[in-house]
Amino acid sequence: MSLLESLRFSRGDSPIHNLDPRVKFLMTFVLFLAAVMFMDLIPLIVIFLVQIPLVTIGKIQSEWFKSLKGGVFLALIIFVTNLISFYFFQGRTLNTSNVETAITLTVRFLVLITSFSIFFLTTSPDKLSLALDKTRIPYEFNFAFITAIRFVPVLADEAQSIIDAQRSRGLELDKGGFLSRIQKYIPILLPLIINSIRRSLELAEAMESRAFGATKERTNLYELKMGNLDYLALIVTLIALLIVIYIRFFTQPFPSLLEPSVII
Amino acid sequence: MGIIEVRNLRYSYPNANAQALNGIDLTIDEGEFVLLTGPSGCGKTTFCRTLNGLIPHFYNGIMEGSVVVTGLNTREHQTPELAQYVGLIFQNPDNQIFALTVEKDVGFGLENLGVHKEEMIKEIDWALEAVGISHLRDRATHELSGGQKQRLAIASILAMRPKILVLDEPTSFLDPIGAERIFLVLDKLNREHGITILLIEHRVDLAARYVDRVMIFSEGKISSNGPPEDIFASEETRLSGVGIPKVVDLYNRLKGLGFPLKRTPLTPDTLVSQLEEIFQNYSTKLTLRSTMSDLDEVAGEHHYRPVIEVHDISYTYPSGVKALDGVSLIIHMGEFVAIMGENGAGKTTLVKHFNGLLRPDKGYIEVDGGDISDTSVASLSRKVGLVFQNPDDQLFSESVEEEVSFALHNFGFDAGTIEKRVNWALNLLDIDQYRKSSPFILSGGERKRVALGSVLAWDPEIVVLDEPTIGQDHGQKERLMHFLMQLRTQGKTTIIVTHDVEFVAECKPRVVLMANGNVIADGPVKAVMTNDKALQRASVSPPEITKVFSRLSSYGLPRDILDVSEAAELLIQLKEANP
Repeated sequence: MSLLESLRFSRGDSPIHNLDPRVKFLMTFVLFLAAVMFMDLIPLIVIFLVQIPLVTIGKIQSEWFKSLKGGVFLALIIFVTNLISFYFFQGRTLNTSNVETAITLTVRFLVLITSFSIFFLTTSPDKLSLALDKTRIPYEFNFAFITAIRFVPVLADEAQSIIDAQRSRGLELDKGGFLSRIQKYIPILLPLIINSIRRSLELAEAMESRAFGATKERTNLYELKMGNLDYLALIVTLIALLIVIYIRFFTQPFPSLLEPSVII
Repeated sequence: MGIIEVRNLRYSYPNANAQALNGIDLTIDEGEFVLLTGPSGCGKTTFCRTLNGLIPHFYNGIMEGSVVVTGLNTREHQTPELAQYVGLIFQNPDNQIFALTVEKDVGFGLENLGVHKEEMIKEIDWALEAVGISHLRDRATHELSGGQKQRLAIASILAMRPKILVLDEPTSFLDPIGAERIFLVLDKLNREHGITILLIEHRVDLAARYVDRVMIFSEGKISSNGPPEDIFASEETRLSGVGIPKVVDLYNRLKGLGFPLKRTPLTPDTLVSQLEEIFQNYSTKLTLRSTMSDLDEVAGEHHYRPVIEVHDISYTYPSGVKALDGVSLIIHMGEFVAIMGENGAGKTTLVKHFNGLLRPDKGYIEVDGGDISDTSVASLSRKVGLVFQNPDDQLFSESVEEEVSFALHNFGFDAGTIEKRVNWALNLLDIDQYRKSSPFILSGGERKRVALGSVLAWDPEIVVLDEPTIGQDHGQKERLMHFLMQLRTQGKTTIIVTHDVEFVAECKPRVVLMANGNVIADGPVKAVMTNDKALQRASVSPPEITKVFSRLSSYGLPRDILDVSEAAELLIQLKEANP
């Protein structure tokens, strides 16, 4: 949960925040692609290092740190399960190249977290919806997306009130076996669902009262406009993509960092 | 021709036997400010829905008669089109805010109408200015307080420049200060911008002074209609059981007792000036300083065994909001306590500590003489029953009976006891006839009683009610008050969390006043309600009658008068002293 929590957008002002969401999305996508294309430690470390200036320009160091911390547990699982599976599949031996692969996969995971952090921490849902607006996706879907985000805190509050009310009526959520615990969530889920249905009716009424669907030619308060910085970022990103493809497919494979030897 | 013309309107919801609206004829002129009141379930909300075409377009059902607003027949025009002329604002501000930032939300309606960007910005500026929230323009909508959210909802509707605003109980989730701000905004929109306003409200005390006309609804019909002075002063209104502003109530009594009063007053000020006119000829003055009896003082002292002792607790929410900052409090057995203060003062946070839902960061709490730090919520709840504000946050069973027995099963009572206790609780709250019904088909007031019953069923020593009067009409409040008196005579320790001063003025509990996570005054209701400094710090305004008496002290009248009967009695004493 804390990993997801740490990906929540917080208002800020930086060149990264102000970047056109489409360009930023492409940037994230190229980082993502590069991370998945390589299986060697050296290029993955390079990609990781390239991301750090982006994080500092975006002034999201502390948030990024939180998301890394949230991801540490998963990263550890990735590392350990890799080692264990190498150990058993190779007939109970382990060599340094196995360790290097496990490290590589772990670094790749951290690179992916970082690229998501850069995108989601610096892109307001409003801007994301604008970017969606520019695609051919119908406005209704876009509206549903924003409404979903809008109601996350509202539903969280409501869930808390329901949990408080039921605990005050003697419901003990953390007692009993697995099945009885699941059953204990019924008194919490039912009011939540019923309230949501009631809420959706009220929302529909309020939407109608705000002229939703009055005209096909909907306007938008904010507009996306590509600035000089956006074009620059776009060009840099495309060049980076070409370089990545060239190195991956047209150059010699990378040497391994650890001396090959058998550990166990 | 009026801006709203309703002719012989009848309506019934699909799958409903009863008619929701029962023949309404009504004309509202442009620029009028009309207050619509009446008991819950009388068809007020349904009537609102007919004004912008939600009925008959969104809700099916059978509608007869006609509704014409700004010259448009609602049958022939769809809601999104009518929305430009009639703006509807609902009770729950959260369910009418769509965007993530304030500015964007105000623009939402305009975007839907296809207004150009430049014009949109102008309209947003104007609407934010008109409701006084320009400074919140760039804020995230979920960070706003309830009152700010409701003002945003008004701005968002206003940006579409409707000629008519219809507000369906817009202040029921707000504290008195938040409510007053909404009424001031409406008054300004009405006077300065000529917007016609139809306000549905239970809070007649605060609203009556702003309106030109009052309509009372009962059983889907308009039962009275006229200027507020006439409507509230009439015997018919008093008998219909809707709330009457306290000053009008006092005026009616005094008039009956032979006071030569003229116009019906709607504010304490106008009543005071009328009374002063009479009193200036009086030569004898009374010499009462305070009506507080010694008994009241004693009741607040350590007369009984303490049941809840709060020792210097502080609590900060994970979000970083410091809700309690060194609160100490002792509540004795059999006491009746009201914890008051504006929204966000820390009232609910405090009572959630009483049964361990929240644990203090600092300090400790004793219940029944024992430290509760290591006691589970479930076992504390046996002693301290918490009833939450919104019954819909806890009802989930198939029948009322099951709902009421839920906690009893959790606490492991045996079947025989459960049956006995359920019967007792259902009778106590007068919901026995719904025993087998689903709690979801009951009305709001009835659901509230089911929720209350589901806690009282296990007969906790201490009962805590969080905002029991919110969204309740006059009749429901009276009923609740009688019920609380009943609990009190049974010797139960009862704690209510409320910001309803008029309610407190009538049931006269000990008052604990909170502000910014601190207890700033604690004592008998009469003492707290005349402690101007503390009230101001807590943003709580005194009861209307107290406001009247705070200006009559030069005639030897005490200040600490809270309710109408007391007030009438004293004024008659003064009159009799001057034959």
